[in-house]
Amino acid sequence: MTQNRRQVLKAAGAAAALGVGAWRPAFAQAKADVVIGAAHPMTGFMSFAGVASNNAMGDYINWRNQNGGILGHKIRYVGEDSAYKVDQGVAVVKKMIASDKPSFIFLDGTPLSKAVARDVLATGSVMTGGFSSSEALLDQKVYPHHFLSGPTFGATHEILMEYIGRVSKGSGTTPKIALVYTDQEFGNEAIPHSKARAQKLGLPIVQEIVTKPTGVDVTSEVAKLRRSRPDIVIFQGYIMNPVPEFVRQMREAGINAQVMSTTYGLDRIMYDALAKNGERLTGVMPYRYGYDTESKMMVTMREYVAKVRPQQESISVFYIHAWLTGMIFCEVAERCIKANKKLTMPNMKAALESMKEWDTGGLTGLLADLSTHQIKSGRVYSYDPALKRMEPASGWIRV
Amino acid sequence: MRTGVFFENYHGEEQLWDSRTAKVWMAIFVGAVATLPWWGSDYMVAMACIVGIHLIATMGLNITTGSAGLISLSQAAFMGVGCYAVSWFARWGLPFWLALPLAGTLAAAIGMLVGLPSLRVKGMYFAIATLAAHFVLSFLFREWTPVTGGPRGVTVPPANFFGIELAGDRRMFYPIFACALLLGLAAANIGRSYVGRAFVAVRDRDISAEILGVNLLRYKVLAFMLGAFYAGIAGGLLGYFYGAITSEYFTFSLSVFYVAAIIVGGLGRVLGSVLGAVFMTFVPESLRLLSSALSGSVPALASLLLPMGQVVFGALIIAFLIFEPHGLAQVWARVRRTFHLWPFRT
Repeated sequence: MTQNRRQVLKAAGAAAALGVGAWRPAFAQAKADVVIGAAHPMTGFMSFAGVASNNAMGDYINWRNQNGGILGHKIRYVGEDSAYKVDQGVAVVKKMIASDKPSFIFLDGTPLSKAVARDVLATGSVMTGGFSSSEALLDQKVYPHHFLSGPTFGATHEILMEYIGRVSKGSGTTPKIALVYTDQEFGNEAIPHSKARAQKLGLPIVQEIVTKPTGVDVTSEVAKLRRSRPDIVIFQGYIMNPVPEFVRQMREAGINAQVMSTTYGLDRIMYDALAKNGERLTGVMPYRYGYDTESKMMVTMREYVAKVRPQQESISVFYIHAWLTGMIFCEVAERCIKANKKLTMPNMKAALESMKEWDTGGLTGLLADLSTHQIKSGRVYSYDPALKRMEPASGWIRV
Repeated sequence: MRTGVFFENYHGEEQLWDSRTAKVWMAIFVGAVATLPWWGSDYMVAMACIVGIHLIATMGLNITTGSAGLISLSQAAFMGVGCYAVSWFARWGLPFWLALPLAGTLAAAIGMLVGLPSLRVKGMYFAIATLAAHFVLSFLFREWTPVTGGPRGVTVPPANFFGIELAGDRRMFYPIFACALLLGLAAANIGRSYVGRAFVAVRDRDISAEILGVNLLRYKVLAFMLGAFYAGIAGGLLGYFYGAITSEYFTFSLSVFYVAAIIVGGLGRVLGSVLGAVFMTFVPESLRLLSSALSGSVPALASLLLPMGQVVFGALIIAFLIFEPHGLAQVWARVRRTFHLWPFRT
């Protein structure tokens, strides 16, 4: 090899190394002051929720950055896919903690929240929120770093029972209630609270049916309902199927019970599917719906989505939930920065617990009280066939 | 250059590694893995722990299905037994080094019950029996609240090994690595013992094996118990690693994951279990990392790659089955042979 060729090769090698080095910064974002990470279930059977929540968190953070960030500090968002699998979620969170050093992490559900709790606590500087509404995560001894962006499963049922109690008092009749729920945490965690509140209010629970989340033999379950003849059937833990088929077979069997659900079971996909069969869904939502005009923040959300994602037809409850969680993260950070405190877990926890009358821009109706690491309020909505959407059937109820 | 090996006696032929070179490379590999907590990042160590747990369960299933030919669709359920068992033993104050083998033993005992139908049914019919066992155990995990915590699951306190608290991935890596190494050696030794040969005989021609004096019930149940024991150990380590577990982890999909791992890796071989577990864990993760890396420069491709990741993963498995039905272990053997015989062609 001649000297010239050797020199050329050396220069080429140096240029390639520099090129590689120069290539990496192009993909690394500028260092931001506050890092928010997220493990969304963007693939897998929960992808309908994960894609919405990833969009929501990204949108909120972009909007916030465009409006001054957090007291001038920019926010950097790192969203990854957990596929709703604990192994993948744990790997994602650990990688995020090691490389991005987030101060806040959004988690895809209760199993992941529990699995990463030790690692999150070990950092001493991460606060978590997420999709889970499990009251197990409110245990301050084990999960002091975690909060719920709404009421627990049990609290939503308590609100629902309160509403049923009030309506039945007004009408002078005592409705018979049947509970149909899934055998997962989304379904069965609420039931003991439901039954306790019903007993306190004197509302009889005449039937309990437990099913798998999907692939349900509806006919045999409806046969059980025929025997008990409920006036109200509350579905818990279903996003859509098999509820429409369940209700259709209920009507064929002569069961004219009112259909109710809560939170994730009150999304557009459910009420539209039931409305096709002429059904009116009623239930408890902790947030306003995406088409609400009374809430300033909802209007802002809608306008932003129309600008960045005009093809998105509606705003789902998953989107609102994640947007609100982003708001809570930023509010906690803002309170710490204002107080000149570092974003350590004790400081963030104290900041969260100081949010006793926090204005969510109307998303939650009432001023939010996060001192107990949850927002224990909601409102009953009912389907309006004329407007083809859910409309308020009660005021905001705090339990 | 080694072109082959020449054994002068059966003892030589039964060795785990057929040459000094292979032993040296294996020692280097084990040494590198053993020192991973010193030089690896948090993410690498965490992934190594997860792979190690999956590896142990895969090796167990390879004994049951790969060696003995008994298709088992309940490996995830046995892991659950191990996980809930360590949680209970920890509550009773049993130390980690006792709770873990006891958890495996409990899983093996349940495996014995599940394996009993193997004398009457075989093949896909037996697989359905194991599927039934999976659903029975899953039901118990969800509904037996006083024992399993129901849907809320259980917490497992950090493992304590003679006063050393194994908190954090870098410490927890060592028991997982030690268990994987020991159980891997055990599986290899079982394979070259009378028991392993009996398993293979049962798998290939159970009637002929019986005529030759192999007690079918004993060896079929033993294969099942060994597979369940490994799964119980893996489940116990999983509980210590995550610290909290719910019944949603031990799904039928996880059992199918392990079946896919042994098929992709290679049936009946410890190396197949290793390669299969690594492949099944790392390929989806690599696709996710690739999607994440591309999200900045080619967001359209990245957004397509993310949901297509599962399709790509499935296609890779099918491609392996078509082009190398004996699995990655056979691919590895061919690569080794190529290097040994180079520049001659195989």
